[in-house]
Amino acid sequence: MCGIAGRILIKPARVGSDLVDLMEAQRHRGADSTGFALYGPALESGFIVRAMAADRRRLSDDLTAFLEILRDNGSDFVSDPTHDDAGTDHVSVRMVIKEPTHFAEWSRQADLISERFEIQSVGRSLEIVKDLGGANEVADKHGIRDFIGTHGLGHARLATESSVSPTASHPFWARPFPDIAIVHNGQITDYYTWRKRLEQSGYRFMTYNDSELIAVWISDQMSKGLSQAQALQKSISEIDGVFTFLISNTESMGFAKDRWAIKPLVAIEENGEMAVATEEQAVRMIYAGENPVINYDGPSMTNTWQIKSLRNAA
Amino acid sequence: MSAVIVTVGDRPIREVNREIRAALAEGNAVTVRDTRSRHNLGIGLPEGARLRFEGSVGYFCGGLNDGAHIEVERNVGWSAGEAMAKGEILINGYAGMAVGASMRGGLIHIRGDAGPRCGVAMKGGDIIVEGKIGYLSGFMAHAGRIIALGGAAGACADSLWGGEVWVAGPIESLGVDTKVIEPTAEDVASVEALLAERGLGDNAREWQKIVSAERLWHFESRDAGAWLMI
Repeated sequence: MCGIAGRILIKPARVGSDLVDLMEAQRHRGADSTGFALYGPALESGFIVRAMAADRRRLSDDLTAFLEILRDNGSDFVSDPTHDDAGTDHVSVRMVIKEPTHFAEWSRQADLISERFEIQSVGRSLEIVKDLGGANEVADKHGIRDFIGTHGLGHARLATESSVSPTASHPFWARPFPDIAIVHNGQITDYYTWRKRLEQSGYRFMTYNDSELIAVWISDQMSKGLSQAQALQKSISEIDGVFTFLISNTESMGFAKDRWAIKPLVAIEENGEMAVATEEQAVRMIYAGENPVINYDGPSMTNTWQIKSLRNAA
Repeated sequence: MSAVIVTVGDRPIREVNREIRAALAEGNAVTVRDTRSRHNLGIGLPEGARLRFEGSVGYFCGGLNDGAHIEVERNVGWSAGEAMAKGEILINGYAGMAVGASMRGGLIHIRGDAGPRCGVAMKGGDIIVEGKIGYLSGFMAHAGRIIALGGAAGACADSLWGGEVWVAGPIESLGVDTKVIEPTAEDVASVEALLAERGLGDNAREWQKIVSAERLWHFESRDAGAWLMI
């Protein structure tokens, strides 16, 4: 059991704060760890990189290695990296980098820096921040409530199939596709089959978490020409398990739900904005009145919300 | 007897339920406000209690009901009236997944639609749904009746063990090990009498009464295919 949520605003505003409220209302679904995928104003060029280093004392070594690989790939830091100063062994790092000459090649090299340094998201807009504990603790540590953006995802985790650690938390980035992130409530039963196929196609996985796999699976389908809506629809018959997941990029957010209708999802849409969550009581934290709720209770369901058209609708 | 108002807001649910119980114990009718779709409201209430929720409630509302009359102004989340023994729950809007799960007696009346697995594993009592019942409704029910006036979604009455699912309106598909039988005049009169008590009588309905085909009652290897159909 996990709790997931998504939020779309019509213009950049306190999306981080809304997501913390959505997740705090679902902390009883799992507070092993909490994470957020936040979409701020998009860069014209270059990327925002979010990473986690397992050993704070070795951070400067890791950043030196990271910078070296950046420069090898025609890139550089745009500004000095920043990181949390919470004092825990692990540390969350934010970097803004210039456009590498060949994204895929840079990404591959950067992933190999060290076992103790993991890139958690790359995007013009996307920033994934995740850590151990409930929504408020993670938010206080990483300043999530102050994040200004248009949309984002949240996840409260009760670990069932893989380890509890800051890096095994959700959301996951769909490595190596910039700006795509996923949150997921469920279990995939043909995980190893799909992992093997995707690895044979050249994809890399940082964890043994099935959610990371779905993110890459959907992105792979989209890279072959499917729309997000088509890829979501296809996932229902191709991926075996019980799941409800939300996936987002800079343009749209969508969900898919398995054939057995096991995992809940509800949404409220109002004036071009939207809140979606596992539980209705969470979306009521955003819309306190009796706004009509869309219950996605049935089997084999998908939906896609366009970020831009929602903006235009307002 | 007077009406007492209990406000939920962001208070601990245990505290809210204690306040509801205390007010009911003094013989008051209780109205619950500002429910915010929260879970586990009005659990295990006794015979004679009268409780009304304004707005919508979350999961497990009215669970373990032991004879209370509970009304919800709008929607309920998952598993409303779970394992209730007796009493009545009236839901004026939509009922989420697994309404009446494992109920043993009493009545749940839903004015809107019901979500998937309505009456899953029910052991007695009646569920009336004025709208449509969701996917896998009546799944593995043992006894009792589900009465749907607005049709049924897919896999209706799947793996029904006992009990009855009555549907007026289209059924998208039947579940495993079910059969539709012609109800007797006596059967229909019993269902229509219950509906008439609720102001829903209509003798012109065309009923499809679904019962267990009883093939899954005993496993036989030559029937293994039937077990794998789900």
